[in-house]
Amino acid sequence: MADQTPVIELRHVDKHYGDLHVLQDINLTVHKGEVLVLIGPSGSGKSTLCRTINRLETIDSGEILIEGEPLPQEGKALAQMRAEIGMVFQSFNLFAHKTILQNVTLGPIEVLGIPKAEAASRAMELLRRVGVDAQAAKVPAQLSGGQQQRVAIARSLAMQPKAMLFDEPTSALDPEMINEVLEVMVELAREGMTMVVVTHEMNFARRVSNRVVFMADGQIVEENTPDEFFDHPKTARARDFLDSIKGH
Amino acid sequence: MSAHTMSMRDALYEAPGPRTKRLTVIGTIVSLALVCVGLALVVRQFYVTGQLDAKYWAFFARPTTWLYLLNGFVGTVKVAAMAAVISLVLGVLLMLARTSGIKPLAFVARVIIDFFRGVPSLLLIYFFYLGLPTVGIRMSPFWMITIPVALAASGVLAEVFRAGVNAVPKGQTEAALSIGLTPGKTMFKIVLPQALRIVIPSLISQLVVVVKDTTVAYVVSYPDLMQNGRVLITTNDAVVSVYLVTAVIYILVNYAINQLSISMARRSGNPIISRTTENPT
Ligand SMILES: Nc1ncnc2c1ncn2[C@@H]1O[C@H](COP(=O)(O)OP(=O)(O)OP(=O)(O)O)[C@@H](O)[C@H]1O
Ligand SMILES: [Mg+2]
Repeated sequence: MADQTPVIELRHVDKHYGDLHVLQDINLTVHKGEVLVLIGPSGSGKSTLCRTINRLETIDSGEILIEGEPLPQEGKALAQMRAEIGMVFQSFNLFAHKTILQNVTLGPIEVLGIPKAEAASRAMELLRRVGVDAQAAKVPAQLSGGQQQRVAIARSLAMQPKAMLFDEPTSALDPEMINEVLEVMVELAREGMTMVVVTHEMNFARRVSNRVVFMADGQIVEENTPDEFFDHPKTARARDFLDSIKGH
Repeated sequence: MSAHTMSMRDALYEAPGPRTKRLTVIGTIVSLALVCVGLALVVRQFYVTGQLDAKYWAFFARPTTWLYLLNGFVGTVKVAAMAAVISLVLGVLLMLARTSGIKPLAFVARVIIDFFRGVPSLLLIYFFYLGLPTVGIRMSPFWMITIPVALAASGVLAEVFRAGVNAVPKGQTEAALSIGLTPGKTMFKIVLPQALRIVIPSLISQLVVVVKDTTVAYVVSYPDLMQNGRVLITTNDAVVSVYLVTAVIYILVNYAINQLSISMARRSGNPIISRTTENPT
C-alpha cells in the first residue's frame, strides 16, 4: 500500500536534555500510506522522537522535513504545519471544558476557518465513524478512557492531517477498552493514513504495520518488517526487549 | 481506572461513623448555645448602655436616611465594580506578561506585581490623593479611590491567575498546539478558561477584598456607603446603630457577590469539570 513519496523525514537529528543524549543521529523516513511502529524500552526516546515531528520538542541539530519542506520553527507557519500532522496522546488530553462535539469542531473552526454548522456536521460524521456520536453533548470526564481516546482520534482527523502520530495510545486504557481504540486505528491504516505509532501492542504491529523501528538509548538499533523483527530479531538488545515484553 | 478516580475530598474525609456523628451533634449544640449566650450578652450590654434607646433608631424610620444610605451604597457599588473590572483586566495582562517567556517583560511584570501586592492599599490611596496633585495630576474622588484599589487587587489577581494557569495540565496546551492553534489562541481558548474555573474561589475572596478596600473612600471624601454612614453618625449622634446597619449591608453585598460568582461559574459552561482525562495511571 505504501508508495515511495516521503511524508516525514528526519535527517541526523540530535537532541539533548542536559547531559542526556536523548536522540542520537536519528535518520528515519516515513512514506505516504506507511504505518510505522516505534518500539523500545522505557526512556529510549520514543516519545521525544514523536514529539519532535510536530515540534512539541525542539531539536539541537539535524533536519526534519514534512513533504520535503523543512519544519517551520515558529509562528503561523509552524501552527499550520502542526495542523497537518495529527497527534494522539497517551492521556487523551481532550479539552476538559468543552463538549465532545466542541473538542472536534474547535480546530476546524479556529484554524481552518470552516463555518460552524459545516464543522459540526463533519464532526458528527467523524464521531459516528469512531462510534461515539451518542456522546457528542457530554464533556470528556463523562466518557470512558476508550471513548475519550476515540474522540481524540476524531479530533485529529477533523484537521484532515497528512500524517498522524500516536504516542502509546492504548497504554492508559483498561484492557477491555484497548481493542476498541486499536480497531479505529486499524481502520485508519486500511484507508491509507500515514501513521507513526509508539506502541507495545505486538498484534497490532504485526497486523497493520509496514515497518517496525526499534529504539534503545536514543538510537535506532534495528528496523525491519514486523514479522522479521518479532520472529528473528537481529540484535541482542531487541531480543532482550522482546523477551521482557512477552511476559505480558 | 474507576478505582483511581476517587476524588481528593473522598480521600481526605472518611464518611462519618456513628461516633463522629454523635460528636458532630454535640458540637453543633454546644456552639449554638455559645453563640446565643454571646448574642444575649451583647444585647444586654447595648440595653444597659442605652444603645437600644429609641433616639438612636428613630431616624431609620425616615425615608431620607435610607435614601442617603442608598446613595452611599450606589457609590460603593460603582467604585467596587469599576475597580473589579480594571483589576481583572490588569491582572490578566500582568500574568500574561509575567509568563510570556520574554525575560525583560517578565521581570518588569514581576516587579509591578510584587509592588502592588506588597504595598497597603491605603498608602496607594494617599499617594493618589496627596502625592499626585503635587506633580499636577488631578482626578475626581471617584478615580482617586478606584484606581488605587484596582491596582492593589491587580497584583494579587495576577498571581491568582498564574497559579490557575499553572494548574491546567500541560497536555491541554500540547493538544491545542497539535491541532494548529497558535500559542495565543491556546492561552485564550484552552488554558485561561480552565484556569479561571480553577481560581473562582480565590477570585471571589479578592472581589470581597475590593469591596472592603473601598470603605476607605472617606479619605478622598468620595460618598460611598461608609462615608455616608459616617455623616449619618455625626448628624444623628448615633454610632452603634448606624455601624450595625452599615455592616449588615456590606455583609449582604459580599454575600451577593458570592452567590453571583457561583451562579456565573455554573452558567459559564459545563457542570462537570474534572481532571480524570489527565494522568490516568
Ligand atoms: N522534559 C524533559 N527533561 C529532561 N529529561 C527528559 C524530558 N523528557 C524526557 N526526558 C528523558 O528523556 C528520556 C527519553 O524520554 P522519552 O519520554 O522520549 O522515552 P520513551 O521512550 O517515550 O519512554 P516511555 O516508554 O517510558 O514512554 C528519558 O530518560 C526521560 O527521562
Ligand atoms: Mg513515551
